[in-house]
Amino acid sequence: MALLTVENLSFTYAGEETPALQDVSFSIRRGEMVVLCGATGCGKSTLMRLFKREISPMGEVSGEILLGGTPTASLSVRESAARIGYVMQHPEEQIVTDKVWHELAFGLESLGYPRDAIRRRVAEMASYFDIEPWFDKDTASLSGGQKQLLNLAAVLVTDPELLLLDEPTAQLDPIAAADFIDTLRRLNRELGLTMLLIEHRPEEVMPICDRLMIMEEGRLLAIDTPRRVMETLGTRPEILCGMPASVRLFHTLGENGTPPLGIREGREFLKASYANDVRALPHEPYTHGERVALSMKNVCFRYEKTGADVLRDTTLEVFEGEILCLLGANGSGKTTALSVAAGLFKPYSGTVRVFGKKQKDYRDGSLYRSCVALLPQNVQTVFLKSTVREELADAGADPAALPYDLTHLMARHPYDLSGGERQLVALAKVLATSPRLLLADEPTKGLDANAKRHLIEIFRTLKQNGVTVVIVTHDTELAAELCDRAALFFRGGIASISTPRAFFSENRFYTTAVSRMTRGIYDNAVTQSDAVSLCRQNGRRGGAS
Amino acid sequence: MIVIQNARLRSFLRILTLLLIPSVAVLGYFLLRGTGYVVTSVTVASLSVVLFLCGFDRRKTGSRRLVLVSVMIALSVLGRFFPLLKPVTAVAVITGVYLGMEAGFLTGAFSALISNFYYGQGPWTPFQMFAWGILAFLAGALARPLQKSRTLLCLYGALSGILYSLIMDIWSAVFASGGFSLPIYLAKVVTALPHTVLYAVSNVIFLFLMAKPFGEKLTRIKRKYGV
Amino acid sequence: MKSLERSHPTVTLLYFLAVTLPVMLCMEPLLLCISLAGALALLFSRTGGRNIRTLLYFLALLLLIALVNPLFQHDGVTVLFFLNGNPVTWEAIAFGLCAGAMTLAVLCWFLSMSQMMTTDKYLCVFGALSPKLSLMLSMALRFVPLFTKRMHAVRLAQRGLGLYRDGTLPDKLRGELRVFSVTVTWALENGIHTADSMEARGYGTGRRTAYAEYDFHAWDGALLALILLMLALTLCGLLTDAVAVTFYPALVRAERGVLAALTYAAYTLLSFLPTLLTVQEKIKWHFLQSKI
Ligand SMILES: Nc1ncnc2c1ncn2[C@@H]1O[C@H](COP(=O)(O)OP(=O)(O)OP(=O)(O)O)[C@@H](O)[C@H]1O
Ligand SMILES: Nc1ncnc2c1ncn2[C@@H]1O[C@H](COP(=O)(O)OP(=O)(O)OP(=O)(O)O)[C@@H](O)[C@H]1O
Ligand SMILES: [Mg+2]
Ligand SMILES: [Mg+2]
Repeated sequence: MALLTVENLSFTYAGEETPALQDVSFSIRRGEMVVLCGATGCGKSTLMRLFKREISPMGEVSGEILLGGTPTASLSVRESAARIGYVMQHPEEQIVTDKVWHELAFGLESLGYPRDAIRRRVAEMASYFDIEPWFDKDTASLSGGQKQLLNLAAVLVTDPELLLLDEPTAQLDPIAAADFIDTLRRLNRELGLTMLLIEHRPEEVMPICDRLMIMEEGRLLAIDTPRRVMETLGTRPEILCGMPASVRLFHTLGENGTPPLGIREGREFLKASYANDVRALPHEPYTHGERVALSMKNVCFRYEKTGADVLRDTTLEVFEGEILCLLGANGSGKTTALSVAAGLFKPYSGTVRVFGKKQKDYRDGSLYRSCVALLPQNVQTVFLKSTVREELADAGADPAALPYDLTHLMARHPYDLSGGERQLVALAKVLATSPRLLLADEPTKGLDANAKRHLIEIFRTLKQNGVTVVIVTHDTELAAELCDRAALFFRGGIASISTPRAFFSENRFYTTAVSRMTRGIYDNAVTQSDAVSLCRQNGRRGGAS
Repeated sequence: MIVIQNARLRSFLRILTLLLIPSVAVLGYFLLRGTGYVVTSVTVASLSVVLFLCGFDRRKTGSRRLVLVSVMIALSVLGRFFPLLKPVTAVAVITGVYLGMEAGFLTGAFSALISNFYYGQGPWTPFQMFAWGILAFLAGALARPLQKSRTLLCLYGALSGILYSLIMDIWSAVFASGGFSLPIYLAKVVTALPHTVLYAVSNVIFLFLMAKPFGEKLTRIKRKYGV
Repeated sequence: MKSLERSHPTVTLLYFLAVTLPVMLCMEPLLLCISLAGALALLFSRTGGRNIRTLLYFLALLLLIALVNPLFQHDGVTVLFFLNGNPVTWEAIAFGLCAGAMTLAVLCWFLSMSQMMTTDKYLCVFGALSPKLSLMLSMALRFVPLFTKRMHAVRLAQRGLGLYRDGTLPDKLRGELRVFSVTVTWALENGIHTADSMEARGYGTGRRTAYAEYDFHAWDGALLALILLMLALTLCGLLTDAVAVTFYPALVRAERGVLAALTYAAYTLLSFLPTLLTVQEKIKWHFLQSKI
């Protein structure tokens, strides 16, 4: 039975010419888990917001949206609020109150439930999500993963029939994200909750979802089981790059038929179809520039006098012209390390040298003039002006000299851009200081696979121009593809550091999907091209093709 | 909270409270010499705040507006932590000018309440709430001319710095001597002169520099999200 | 029996208003002494000697007030000496001392109150009065530390971009204003998302319940009744002038028989009530602990 039915839905933002959504029709059955994918700015968030009339954007709507047979427009605001739950894109912005318990109670308070009922539901929800240990805490003191869990719990207290989630794991490390998605799976399987989920993590969600929706420029391209979507659309490169590693590998190898979905099926496919006489690729030699661009020696840092050390004896050398990727769990201190490297925090012991010169010998901000630049984790901190044009002019950036094109965005307000576009504009401002050492903190968060590939090209160009780059990221695929060396950050120090092939083939969890999929078959395939070249070298089993 | 649904009665009450504090100060001087004055003045100040807020609960305030006012309150509390420049009044005045009288009053009054969680609550809290609230409220009433001319706005800023100081001096005189006496009040006014000047000057500086960008931001938000 | 701190917030708040009201109404010396003693006893029973420095500061304030008054007030019949041709009278000094003592007492009471009434307790009280204002207060309370943090983040980000060019004072000031400006934009835009999140969870669709973690138990009711009774008795004495004081022209304390005694007794009980409860709880806890 259909819970949500959408018929010929079109939408145009007030004051815009082109529609953000065009002629979208589909329906979601009760108990289904549906994943929505699509490039940045294709209208995913817009579509989701239209389902909830109280937060629908302003503009012109045509078509119909039915919830359980009644048009959502004729639902009372109250009913719509209670029956549809919505978890928003940014965990921090969704939190309303200052205490965890109050946040949990908020929805029930608003709907005017009696106190006893509120108490019961809050208690139940806190137990289910294991929130009890931090029930009395301030919401501000929670970690990113906890915040997102709280948001989910706070939405579920009102017992909605349909749950909408907009990129809920964009800021989480791979392990926390997998945990969160597993919680969603449990909710769907155990409680039969219907959910529609926007996600850029194909590996985790595709194997568990019932159906997959693909959008492109405001139109719905497909809605079907993941397998069938891949059969029909898998050959288009811009869609293929957002698919799980197993599917990408399958298509790149030029196979025909039904692609394997997820790590397990991928392994089975490889085992069955390809030989593994050649198990490993030769280790790529690691060569580096002569000069050390950044060196941290036994650096210790803490935020509060009486607090715990966030950086403990961190030692790191980055050579000129290399790209280094830092990976690690939420709260392990990556951002802190980057800020110390950029001279924004002073370590209480240890030394930091930039291009051989001690940091404190750079006087009067000369460190930031054509030397070091930091792209912060939160790019909102970068924007000062009311249009992108002024923003670039303020930084002295020449739009023509940028490695990418921003002309179509010049007149927009920085806050009206989509996530990926914001990232690019911020990067343009940072590049305008023409740094020799670029420190970038999670430059690809919230980007779709296509935009990521674009960014990889930009970093490669920078490297060719002799810029040293340190990137903090949660994205293992990006790191494996791009970096000269990768490092794992753990409890305020570097736990391991080596070339990507060695690094990712040794890790079990902090590694790429390809590496997990080929583990035990090949020894050191970490990127898709590694796997492809190994498969080609080995050839098909039994000489079938 | 007391519910007064008649809008006219509400505005009448507000005008009444506007006159209340000065008239109590004057009347008290003649009638109430000495004891009882402290209680009376604290009560009057609290009542004025309550009267201003009454009816607030009943009216439909969009949640966006509500949140925006909370944001402005928080920003103005932050202003109190600024060293030297203390743009509390300035932020409240800007709120009054761009988001309306009531928003202004709420911002002024609640930033006093909240910042006193950090600086210490006491019987002076209602006075501060009233002083900041009323100054922002009046700015809201004068929104048209103040939006148009930066000079006028700065002038209003200077004036509100002085007025704030004068109102708070009533309080310190009353509390320091258990009653209102003119010589002590004047002495307080004189000793508080450096503060008064600082308030006025920092208001002017802040309004001169920030009123326009602040106004642009608020106008953009109002237009884009239909607040 | 629970201590005042663990009682319902409304009771706690009303207690402090009730105990400061009589001394603000009437600066009778004995009444002031009782109040001061009660306030200090509460401070020490709760936190020991931790507030000594604050108290010393308050004491200096008291002396200042006591000294300033005779310089401006020349009424009173007992002239002690002349200063610059103006009489300095005993009555004016006495008035100053009493006013100082009142200030001191009120400050001490409010010091305890600030320690007991955490922000969520205020929210509980406000929530009962006006759910909307309470919500606003709650959000603003969350925003203050959040924006402080963000402002810091913005400052660092801008520094990392080379915002501060030469490090002179005007440059720094300009930088600070820019940082504030970015924070404002961010805060406002963020506010809209928060509002959406509220609406998505049903805010504004009807009457709000104010869910608080505090329950009003029978004990709270009993305590409140006791407080109000004692306050009423004290006020009786004050309003009928059974306990009263006039300073000018001469210092006269009125103390009329049984009613005055009753007033003092009631106010003493009121002033020492929280200390008694605190001590009682500490003893009980000690006893329970020894059993564990
Ligand atoms: N308030 C607005 N006014 C005008 N245009 C808007 C507004 N909000 C979004 N848009 C535009 O509508 C399109 C769809 O935006 P939407 O936020 O739905 O994208 P999305 O698919 O969710 O992207 P992302 O993955 O970055 O979140 C984009 O081109 C965006 O620029
Ligand atoms: N301004 C601050 N004051 C106090 N503690 C802080 C501050 N910023 C971060 N911390 C703490 O320092 C630790 C490391 O934080 P950091 O932001 O460096 O982590 P991270 O590795 O970048 O995490 P994420 O992947 O979530 O960005 C965390 O435990 C965090 O709580
Ligand atoms: Mg989106
Ligand atoms: Mg980080």
